[in-house]
Amino acid sequence: MTEEERQGLAGEYVLGTLDAAQAQAVRDDPSMATPIAEWEARLAPLHALAPPEAPLPELWVRIERSLQGTAQPRAARSPWFSRFWAVGATAVAAGLATLLVVQRPEPPPLMTVLLTSREAPAFLVEADRGGEIRLAALNNQAVPEGRVRQLWALPAGATAPTSLGLVPEDGRIRVRAAAIRPEPGMLIEITLEPPGGSPTGRPTGPILFIGRLAPARGV
Amino acid sequence: MSEPTLAVLLSAVAAGEPSALRGIYQQQSLRLFGVANAVLRDRDQAADAVHNAFLNIARRAGQYDPARGAAEAWLAAVTRYAALDILRARGREMPSDDPALGDIPVEPEALQLLEGQENGTRLRACLQSLPEKNRRGIVLAFVHGLSHPQIAAQLELPLGTVKAWIRRGLLSLRDCMA
Repeated sequence: MTEEERQGLAGEYVLGTLDAAQAQAVRDDPSMATPIAEWEARLAPLHALAPPEAPLPELWVRIERSLQGTAQPRAARSPWFSRFWAVGATAVAAGLATLLVVQRPEPPPLMTVLLTSREAPAFLVEADRGGEIRLAALNNQAVPEGRVRQLWALPAGATAPTSLGLVPEDGRIRVRAAAIRPEPGMLIEITLEPPGGSPTGRPTGPILFIGRLAPARGV
Repeated sequence: MSEPTLAVLLSAVAAGEPSALRGIYQQQSLRLFGVANAVLRDRDQAADAVHNAFLNIARRAGQYDPARGAAEAWLAAVTRYAALDILRARGREMPSDDPALGDIPVEPEALQLLEGQENGTRLRACLQSLPEKNRRGIVLAFVHGLSHPQIAAQLELPLGTVKAWIRRGLLSLRDCMA
């Protein structure tokens, strides 16, 4: 095989166009490891073209169960057991109470993906019914010099949004606003504001991203 | 509150700390489920792919080498391979005449999403230097897991032409990005 053929084959393996037998042969060839890693690095930005989607909450439970089935000794202990062990005997009663609460069926958490004006996903927002709202950048972009990003919530029927605070540079924030109770249909938006945030208590700058909370659901 | 980085969580998983895997899942499950669902276009099968991917991540976390690229890229690659395995196992019978298929990622504006990714600006410029059908073929294969025959049907080109174009397109991408 010429070097060009090897490179092409590794590229097609990473692209995903090889059939099962060809893919297996490439994967099992140790001399392909480096060209494969190079192709993965070259093409990795294309992952951003797949729109983020929320899996069902049960998926993590299933993963955890499979891991326990195959686990090495260290991971074999049930997480509940080790958690109780860690918190100590005095906290066991409190732990049991938590367990009971956790097992009661709860309404699903709320979430939305804030989109840019071009419909590109920019931020993931998750909200507990209890009131905590979490924001995470999916594709964090630099903020224009001398400006800050401010997060707002607009409950259904409200006439003006309530500030949830400024978005830090890393695009991650966790807030709990006393006046806001997350509910389906609530609008979440991020605007561009002067340093320190909007001087008026209402958005003054352009809306960068916007989305509407909905119950997290799977299929 | 700052969260541990993915690279730190991966090395904790490799060191035998299973709870770190949950941190990775919390930070990445939407993105990874999106990657799997774009390939499989079936939420149940995408869930299977993410499940299999996380078992692989638990087992192979020690193989992640930060010198070779971002942890996000490694996690997405493991997930996409898990999705491709399922796709191959089911025989890629996904209809390639689905009119909605592939509209989003192959629009020229969509390539803007590459900006802000590590190496994204470079890849975007190099993709845009390829002939349009060539670029579409590569993006459709990567994002939606289309096979050569499916790409040929989608682009209305003979199969042999598509195979040769994709191979040539990959090699010119490589030269362009060198």
